Amino acid sequence: MWDFLGDRYEQILFSGWQHFSLVVQCLILATVLAVVLAALVYRSKALTSVANSVSAIGLTIPAFALIGLLIAPLGFGVAPAVIVVAFFATLPILRNAVVGLSGIAPSIVESARGIGMSRFRTLVQVELPMAWPIILTGVRVSAQMVMGIAAVAAYSLGPGLGGFIFSGLSRSGGANSLESVLTGVIGVIVLALILDLLLVGLGRLTIPRGIRV
Amino acid sequence: MSETSATTTPTGITGASILLDHVTKRFPGQVKPAVDGLTMEIPAGKIVMFVGPSGCGKTTTLKMINRLIEPTEGRIVVDGDDVTEMNGDTLRRGIGYVIQAGGLFPHMTVATNIGIVPKMLGWDKARIAARVDELLELVSLDPALYRDRYPKELSGGQQQRVGVARALAADPPVLLMDEPFGAVDPITRLRLQDELLNIQDELQKTIVCVTHDFDEAVKLGDWIAIFNEGAQLEQYDTPERILGDPASEFVENFIGSGAGLKQLTLTRVEEVGLAEAVVGNPGERAADVLARVAEAGHGHAVIVDDRRRPIQWLSRRKLGRLDVISDVPDPKLPVVGIRATLNDALDTMLVSSAGAALVTGRRDMFKGVIDVQTVMDAITRSQTAAVLESDQAPVGLNTGMFQVQASAASAASAASVDSVAEAADELAADTRAAQ
Amino acid sequence: MNTRTLNAEAGIAGGDSAAGIPVDPAASTATVSRGRAIWASWKGLVYQLAGIILACLALLVWLLTADLSTIELTTLAPAALWGYTVEHLQLTLLAAAIVLVIAIPLGIALTRKPLRFLTAPVLAIANFGQAAPAVGVVVLLALWVGFSFWAATLSLVLYAVLPVLRNTMIGLDQVDARLVEAGRGMGMSATAVLFTVELPLAVPVMLSGVRTALVLLVGTAALATFINGGGLGILITTGVNLSLTTVLVTGALLVALLALLIDWVGRVVEHVARPKGL
Repeated sequence: MWDFLGDRYEQILFSGWQHFSLVVQCLILATVLAVVLAALVYRSKALTSVANSVSAIGLTIPAFALIGLLIAPLGFGVAPAVIVVAFFATLPILRNAVVGLSGIAPSIVESARGIGMSRFRTLVQVELPMAWPIILTGVRVSAQMVMGIAAVAAYSLGPGLGGFIFSGLSRSGGANSLESVLTGVIGVIVLALILDLLLVGLGRLTIPRGIRV
Repeated sequence: MSETSATTTPTGITGASILLDHVTKRFPGQVKPAVDGLTMEIPAGKIVMFVGPSGCGKTTTLKMINRLIEPTEGRIVVDGDDVTEMNGDTLRRGIGYVIQAGGLFPHMTVATNIGIVPKMLGWDKARIAARVDELLELVSLDPALYRDRYPKELSGGQQQRVGVARALAADPPVLLMDEPFGAVDPITRLRLQDELLNIQDELQKTIVCVTHDFDEAVKLGDWIAIFNEGAQLEQYDTPERILGDPASEFVENFIGSGAGLKQLTLTRVEEVGLAEAVVGNPGERAADVLARVAEAGHGHAVIVDDRRRPIQWLSRRKLGRLDVISDVPDPKLPVVGIRATLNDALDTMLVSSAGAALVTGRRDMFKGVIDVQTVMDAITRSQTAAVLESDQAPVGLNTGMFQVQASAASAASAASVDSVAEAADELAADTRAAQ
Repeated sequence: MNTRTLNAEAGIAGGDSAAGIPVDPAASTATVSRGRAIWASWKGLVYQLAGIILACLALLVWLLTADLSTIELTTLAPAALWGYTVEHLQLTLLAAAIVLVIAIPLGIALTRKPLRFLTAPVLAIANFGQAAPAVGVVVLLALWVGFSFWAATLSLVLYAVLPVLRNTMIGLDQVDARLVEAGRGMGMSATAVLFTVELPLAVPVMLSGVRTALVLLVGTAALATFINGGGLGILITTGVNLSLTTVLVTGALLVALLALLIDWVGRVVEHVARPKGL
């Protein structure tokens, strides 16, 4: 095992970094997307329930099936991996953003409007900061989930640590196959932990002290 | 109540006496015991209220009676039987237990909730159904309407009633209540308290009730136990004596201001003498009524309708100006019911211009007049009476903390500690003999 | 939502001491709008089923009208498709059954007093384990146990135990402690309280954990094909390996539809099994 790691640490670090950066970029994209969508729908009851159904149904679709569906039109490579990861990252954040935004007491929004804030300003200065802790929880859930999905996404020959798992699988019984798979699995878990810690830190920095729990 | 599993005495008391004998509770990881060497007698068929600041151990003491919390040391004796070692579940099936908001199981209907204990005791279905209806009637809920509802379909007050009904299901001799009326609005709370008193009139259970509301304790309690930290009994006595003769500064502070006014809640209008009044009827000539008023030397005449319900209260001056007495009711008539407390009566009097109030009995029939002087006399009387009567006070003391208590309590009570301790031993001996 | 307001109305109409009110004014309106409330609560489920059926029909029509090669025709023969689906369901349901047998008693045990202190660490480990990539777990177990149906089942169990265990614990934990105390206070034994109070009240949360697990299982079972575990995943890998787009798309769609269908069944069960009065 140590030989395997020693021989390939550069490759492992590179893949790990790629994995991590794929996930983080997709998360950023997903957060922006989800918050915008939530801001568009949260004031309509009908649209809110549509958004909730979409995220619930979307989450039941197996990642592997979606990758298969995307390989058909897009071919192998980075594109299907990015789309799958971003898609699944968006859903939990969307759900939480809708819950967070619609959970704010109407009296607070009213008082913001009452002192002359515009609708948009109220959203940006009052509602989003108050919903942020819940949104960020959604981001953490997404991050954990998407780390694993990114490993499956390597099936489309995308970047990341998933490659170690699939190459171990294809050489099963051969030299270093177990080491390769273990590297992939443990690497993903470690990355998930690191990212979670970073997100907790982000929460510390960005959640106003008044609403921290 | 047709069946009583408990001892039925000729006086109609269905409750059982309880004795806490040198009971101590230490929770792991806490230096001070939550309950420290408490010995306490709870007389059969009475309502005993436990009050005290939060964290004083009153709830722990209550829960040790049905052994939801096991005492670290000491014995619990119910109806002469030492229950400290018996199976806790069996013990609890024979003791009613009511908690805040009723503690109803949300996934069971009202009837199922009430029938839980009878079912565990192996009653047959028909008997349980009959008992459920009987209890719903007892707590003023129409069985046909409420039997099959779920708890969330009831108001807070109704849930609390069902909670009481559930506790009474197997007709236990003892009812333990843990802040039973804490979660309902003040008006409903007053009504539930009145209802509990009515039920108790009928059933005469032994009721032990924890509350943080001293007024509630005064209203409901035959005896009040005031606890300090570590379940130290500061005073265990009748509401009258606690208000009239607080045993320590702690008790005084706990009662707070307005002890005199609180005493007014102890006496009901029916217990004081009412003044007679000149009565007239609509359609009479005002001059005739005025003549009767003058003859009796009164200032007012009460006009009642054909069912003797008061409708007007006329002064001599008004009578003089009238020709014939009308039958239009006066909406602002100062009326109190005969079961109202003197506190309510005084309140009504103060807002009426006459400085007095009309008292009505059953079906709102006119009974007489109560005035401020009557109330003052009643207060004076009850204060003198309170200081005198004390002989039948039940035993209550802490064995573990004499030195502390001696300094806090008056010298007299410190001197009597020994005799009280003896009394406790005798009592324990009695209960052993009874077995 | 709707039913709740209804009930509140009925409660008020009944009055606080309603012994004297024989006719509940809300009753007549309640029966009319009760039908609407039932429809509202089932609406989503009906739509979901309709969507699944429509998608199945569309897939069928597409397959019937498409111009298929001989390999595609043999791979997508109805009997073969049915066989893969049955295998997939076998994997899913067997794993689910094992998961229930393990996770529910374990969840109950971990919330009992003697083992309470283990609750937090177990949940932490569970969350930590959830981050492991499913593919990795499947492949690792295969390398260890051998490439087979059983290796696939075992890895599926490992993967799906967590949601059920977690929801069992959370479901039992969120039962109001005062209700447990009320039960004990009435003389119910600890076991009686567990079965008549705690478990019924935990059912909604536990069932949603089971549904989550089932959906996870359907998805993960698609990976079983990598280790010769069978199931619909083989259509996807075959489609990719032989560049047979139709096979690939059919496989992916079937897995997704199966997951949605299982999710639907789970929701129906949750809806029906939800204790009345909650």
